[in-house]
Amino acid sequence: MASKLKSRWADDEEDAALEAQLKREREEKKRLKAEKARKLEAEKQARDAATAAATQQHPDSTNGPPAKRRKLSPDREAPRTAGASAESIPVPKLLRFEGGAFDRCRSVENYDKLNDIEEGAYGWVSRARELATGKVVALKRLKIDPKDRGGLPVTGLREIQILKDCDHRNVVKLQEVVVGEDTDRIENIFLVLEFVEHDLKSILEDMPEPFLASEIKTLLQQLAAGVAYLHDNWILHRDLKTSNLLLNNRGQLKIADFGMARYVGDPPPKLTQLVVTLWYRSPELLLGAARYTSAIDMWSVGCIFGELLTREPLLQGRNEVDQLTKIFELCGVPTEDSWPSFRRLPNARGLRLPPKSSSSSSGSLVRARFPLLTSAGVSLLNGLLALDPERRPSARDMLAHDYFRQDPKPKQEAMFPTFPSKAGQERRRRRETPNAPARGQAPAGLGVVDFSGIFSGREREERGGGFSLRMV
Amino acid sequence: MSHMTNPLATPEQLFQRRSFGALPLELQDAIFFAAQCLTQAAGILLQLPQSITAQANVLLARYWLVEPLMAHEFSDVSAAAMYLTAKLSASPRSPRDVCNVYAYLVSPASTFFHPLHQPLAAAAAENNPPKYCLSESQYQSFHARLLAIEARVFYALSFNTHVALPHPLAVTYLQALDFLNMPKETIAKRALAYLNAAVLSPQMLYCTSQPNALAVAAIYNAARDVGAKMPECEWWEVFDVDREELGFLVVGMRSIEGWGRKIRGEEEPIKGWKGKGMLTRRMVQEELRRRGIEEVGEEGDDVEADMARRLDERMAELEGGS
Repeated sequence: MASKLKSRWADDEEDAALEAQLKREREEKKRLKAEKARKLEAEKQARDAATAAATQQHPDSTNGPPAKRRKLSPDREAPRTAGASAESIPVPKLLRFEGGAFDRCRSVENYDKLNDIEEGAYGWVSRARELATGKVVALKRLKIDPKDRGGLPVTGLREIQILKDCDHRNVVKLQEVVVGEDTDRIENIFLVLEFVEHDLKSILEDMPEPFLASEIKTLLQQLAAGVAYLHDNWILHRDLKTSNLLLNNRGQLKIADFGMARYVGDPPPKLTQLVVTLWYRSPELLLGAARYTSAIDMWSVGCIFGELLTREPLLQGRNEVDQLTKIFELCGVPTEDSWPSFRRLPNARGLRLPPKSSSSSSGSLVRARFPLLTSAGVSLLNGLLALDPERRPSARDMLAHDYFRQDPKPKQEAMFPTFPSKAGQERRRRRETPNAPARGQAPAGLGVVDFSGIFSGREREERGGGFSLRMV
Repeated sequence: MSHMTNPLATPEQLFQRRSFGALPLELQDAIFFAAQCLTQAAGILLQLPQSITAQANVLLARYWLVEPLMAHEFSDVSAAAMYLTAKLSASPRSPRDVCNVYAYLVSPASTFFHPLHQPLAAAAAENNPPKYCLSESQYQSFHARLLAIEARVFYALSFNTHVALPHPLAVTYLQALDFLNMPKETIAKRALAYLNAAVLSPQMLYCTSQPNALAVAAIYNAARDVGAKMPECEWWEVFDVDREELGFLVVGMRSIEGWGRKIRGEEEPIKGWKGKGMLTRRMVQEELRRRGIEEVGEEGDDVEADMARRLDERMAELEGGS
């Protein structure tokens, strides 16, 4: 120990030397700077006096570059043996990492409740004003089941953990977490989120005219940017749907409700299949895949795309089997060709699919269902709704898609129309979409399901370029 | 950059440990060390990877910079930190598992902080399950305490459970340094050993330095130990660590082993601790009485602790009743 201490003192002497050297350098620099300024001043005066003559009169050293070069190698005694490195970079520029501090939660009494916004499966949300600043925020209360033997709900804790780590303009911001006044027992926990006026679901329900193509592009672009940020940071949202997408009055979209979200790794860990609200759930989840990737979020993005176009949820299944039926009706039945590995998924064994030969069943009906969409739009939607998760574009791929380059260009956010805010008023939102599955439910097997008849009526549909006809 | 940064203790938080009315520092240090060792032991028995256990260690250290030490039983706080860290990780552990492991570790049947020189046969003869198995009511009361303290820890840390460990950085830095021309395992193992030991340090290095500095200091120490030749320039600056901080951490990391052995060995900060297993609140209170500074424990640390204790008891009753 003694020898270590001694070496430490030796270090300190060097430190002092270094310090002195740095000081000298600083002084030298200062002096050089002053000199340079003086020379520049002189130069300027001289130039004022006689422009042409002045440049010739002055020696080279007064010009900028040589002075600069001299500054780099001030003459001083080499302080140590390792002089070479010390000389070239006299003052190291070190990055400082700021991680903030930690302290107790503040009290919810710092906020003044204004009105309730909604009550979901997962907790209730209300609008509130911070007393100190007057800023309006959304307070989301964690639902805590006192009978839960596991303590604080892991979903809520994950949401906090993930939102604390996120910083993106298209992801809702978590300002802080506050608790009820009585801190002896922590049972009232509130997330203080930035207040956003609307959710996309209510807007879609109430708007008399659908969004313009340019507006849809803006929304999708922002959604893709937010999802790309999440996926880049190894976060799966696992419950993307229009009621979880918020929109403010400046046309900015923000992804909210991270109650289902979690961090994942690569290779993907084994995860629960009980995620994503049924209507937005991807076929691989419905077929019971235990390992899934960020492609499940991209499927949901595809469903949201469809919903933005029609103002109606794209695939409204009544249960898991019906959902799969609806998916196969729209996107075609999976084949070894379109989704090579689907037969190996747990719930795929009991599927009876229409025979491959019937040509009408294999193709996707996206084109027919969205007659007004440009071909780039159709190709993007078809990509997002690819049955094979491997073939879905990533959020980054999506951002680079032609759809966003072609006319009409995405509308500027500032030019976005505004809507009357439901959240800002004394009105409770009703939930019409089903909720994300609850934790702890047993994943339902599909059993033996016969899909062979789902296209029986399809031959009677005629598909054309711009519209579809049903022949009676 | 979140994997490079941790929230750090403020000067006030560090100062408050020495404030009037706080426990004598050597007692605080002993408690801290014992609880961190206990957390590590529990992590092993719960078969959790070090990446999770070490996070629990860091959260525990942060918690005690915010909340008074004597408010809860030390082993309970350690259990809660372990439980909540595992819960947020990819390998959660059930309250039952955590309870069993801690009951065993604090019982005289375990080797944790107990002398190892007992002959094995005698130990086997003494292997007495009732000593470390909890009755149902004991389990219920432990469970209630676990959940109460879990919420308390979240509250004290503002629900910020982010911990960036320096371990992966150390490996990355070693790769950048080409392992200083040493066999990879030798030097990497040594560096990680320093990082793991630093978790136990009552200097709370993980709460005062960012991971990059910890990683560099561990590499520096490891290189010295295995006789690796370090670059002759000020290579730590490449990793954004200045000389002063490096020096402090190098000394801090090197001193842990000797200090740990000392307080476990000849110089007992608490009389009669040796061979008695995990340090408990009662031991500390007795020690305070012995020193004639009884008031500190009762008054300084404080009404809150008392209330928490009463609360625990009430909850235990409620839980036991239901």
